[in-house]
Amino acid sequence: MTVIKLTSQDGKPVEFVPTLIGQGGMKDVYFSPDHTYVVAFYRDKLDHASNERLQAIVGSFRDGIFNRAGGDYWQNLFRWPTGIVEWGGRTGITVPTYQSHFFFEHGSKNDDMLKIKGREKEGKWFSSASNRNSFLDPRELGTWLSYFRICILISRAVRRLHAAGLAHSDLSYKNVLVDPAGRNACIIDIDGLVVPGKYPPDVVGTPDFIAPEVMATSRLAKADPKRFLPSITTDRHALAVLIYMYLLYRHPLRGGKVHDQDPARDEELGMGERALFVEHPTDASNRIRLDQVKKSALPWADAARLPFTLTGPLLAPLFKRAFIDGLHTPSARPTADDWEFALVRTVDLMQPCQNHTCQAKWYVFDNTVKPTCPFCGTAYRGLLPVLNLYSSRKAGTYTPDNHRVMVYDGQSLFPWHVNRNVFPNEKLSGDQTRRVGYFRLHQGIWYLVNERLPDMKDLTTGKAVPPNSHVDLVEGKRLLLSTEEGGRVIQVQMVVG
Amino acid sequence: MRRLPVYLLLDTSGSMRGEPIQAVNVGLRAMISALRQDPHALESVWVSIITFNRSADVLMPLTPVDLLQLPDIVAPESGVTHMGLGMETLIEQVRHEVTRNSADRKGDWAPLLFVMTDGSPSDIAAYQDAIPVVKGLGFGNIVGCAAGPKAKLSYLLELTPTVVSLDTMDSASFGQFFSWVSAAVARGNRSQGLSAAVDLPPPPPELQVVT
Repeated sequence: MTVIKLTSQDGKPVEFVPTLIGQGGMKDVYFSPDHTYVVAFYRDKLDHASNERLQAIVGSFRDGIFNRAGGDYWQNLFRWPTGIVEWGGRTGITVPTYQSHFFFEHGSKNDDMLKIKGREKEGKWFSSASNRNSFLDPRELGTWLSYFRICILISRAVRRLHAAGLAHSDLSYKNVLVDPAGRNACIIDIDGLVVPGKYPPDVVGTPDFIAPEVMATSRLAKADPKRFLPSITTDRHALAVLIYMYLLYRHPLRGGKVHDQDPARDEELGMGERALFVEHPTDASNRIRLDQVKKSALPWADAARLPFTLTGPLLAPLFKRAFIDGLHTPSARPTADDWEFALVRTVDLMQPCQNHTCQAKWYVFDNTVKPTCPFCGTAYRGLLPVLNLYSSRKAGTYTPDNHRVMVYDGQSLFPWHVNRNVFPNEKLSGDQTRRVGYFRLHQGIWYLVNERLPDMKDLTTGKAVPPNSHVDLVEGKRLLLSTEEGGRVIQVQMVVG
Repeated sequence: MRRLPVYLLLDTSGSMRGEPIQAVNVGLRAMISALRQDPHALESVWVSIITFNRSADVLMPLTPVDLLQLPDIVAPESGVTHMGLGMETLIEQVRHEVTRNSADRKGDWAPLLFVMTDGSPSDIAAYQDAIPVVKGLGFGNIVGCAAGPKAKLSYLLELTPTVVSLDTMDSASFGQFFSWVSAAVARGNRSQGLSAAVDLPPPPPELQVVT
């Protein structure tokens, strides 16, 4: 085996096997002998700005995210370039290899008829209804809840980039690996990061994800002041599209409206200056025409049957902001932070579908109508406890937090349910990510089992509920979870299914 | 969901007999599997194969890539290269298979055409008559492939400025060519550069781009 030995700019040894393993848009990729990292060489000579950008990406930007408290958390969410090498006049970067769960374990149906086992789990496989229905092995698909976790991770990673003043500039299902079965996601192709005012973008993005203002001005010269280039606000558009596609398996702007006879021009208008949400409440001209879609795209292509509002009361307003208010007004788009918050809160509203053959397996119950799975139509049977969370901002009084938890059998109670000041994200320490109690349905009665809450008290009866004891959940019951600052009271409501 | 129609117009004249035609078969199979392994191509690409020798045959009408059963392509003992006839058949097929945008229905993406020959047209007049018609069919890209030392570049260059040439007609060369074709076809969902031009992927070193 021939191995080429180089030294990176910061003096570390780098080795690679000169057998091409892949070609990206701009780079040729080679494995290190032990396959722990790849070396990707740019085919074209880099200009001064691109070189400087790479220096910053492997240097100060990397340090800013990874080399500080909690930095390890991001190792799983980004495949971040680690070094720069030169070889035969070409510039290359070293990047850690993708983790094994990002390669198909089962691949496609019928004994992997497409022969994709071992290949990268590119996001497009999972965001397309027809690929899901016709080709992927069901064991690869995960449940609807898996995609909430994936979207949370992606939003969190994008939020982190934006917080550092960086724009990814080319978010797409090609540049985000997902693992629905194991509920993982990871952002790749980070070498194109855009720093406003410093390092301009060198791509406009990937079709499906290019923001309308970028598409609409793509024919103007690069230096034209009217031209829009990828930025943090265009990342926000791409993020909204990603989330919409991972939760609804269709594209928010690809409907039936014809803008021009020439397909290329039609695309440019439909994704650009005339972009229109397929589910726009008053303008129905871009609805998905069911007579024009493949059977295998159903039921997801049927937006009337599965509207975006089924994502619940926290996410639906964000989709409206992204695809109605903010579609042509970049400043109105939801931020990555908005998405992360809404997704995390929506997980508290999820119910497992009681139909064991339901493909989605989970749905959002928003407490407005009788709980029914929108995907398979199965109605919830039995009593469903809904917890309304209150917390104290002034001693002795409790005010609603506008936060609900829909209980299911086996569900966990976490520190972020117990205290208003705790939010689940990368900042939580190990102990804060562990459950403090759980819910059980036993012989027709719902119980909350306290595992680690020292101050828990049943306010209705005045009795303490110490760790390793339990309390039953009935209509109107109030439970104090914590006496600490920000500690919560839950009020139980029983919904009859 | 728009379709991306891909037309392959392949020379199966007598000179292709033997290793070259075997290599084409192997290369085509690899190309189809590669397209099936691309989630974007899998749901949008439709392929048609038209061959020409003495006659022209629609070996495979426009078919979605996931349903495509590739027949074995054979070449006759000997015979002429009726490339003009092949082009006429292509024109016929494109006219009735490719859906254009209408006022209320989205049509197909602009189709792609790959023309491969190892020689030159025996029916030059028919070939040259067909060229302006083919150019007027709205192809997004036309790529010529001149295979082996006897292929005449000049005829392909009349059809398209994008011509690649293969030095040899073995499985390695055809393999490279068809894997490049699949990369070009799957290009639709790649990151796009700042310039608006439709770009083909860079050819591997074995493929010489003539222009």
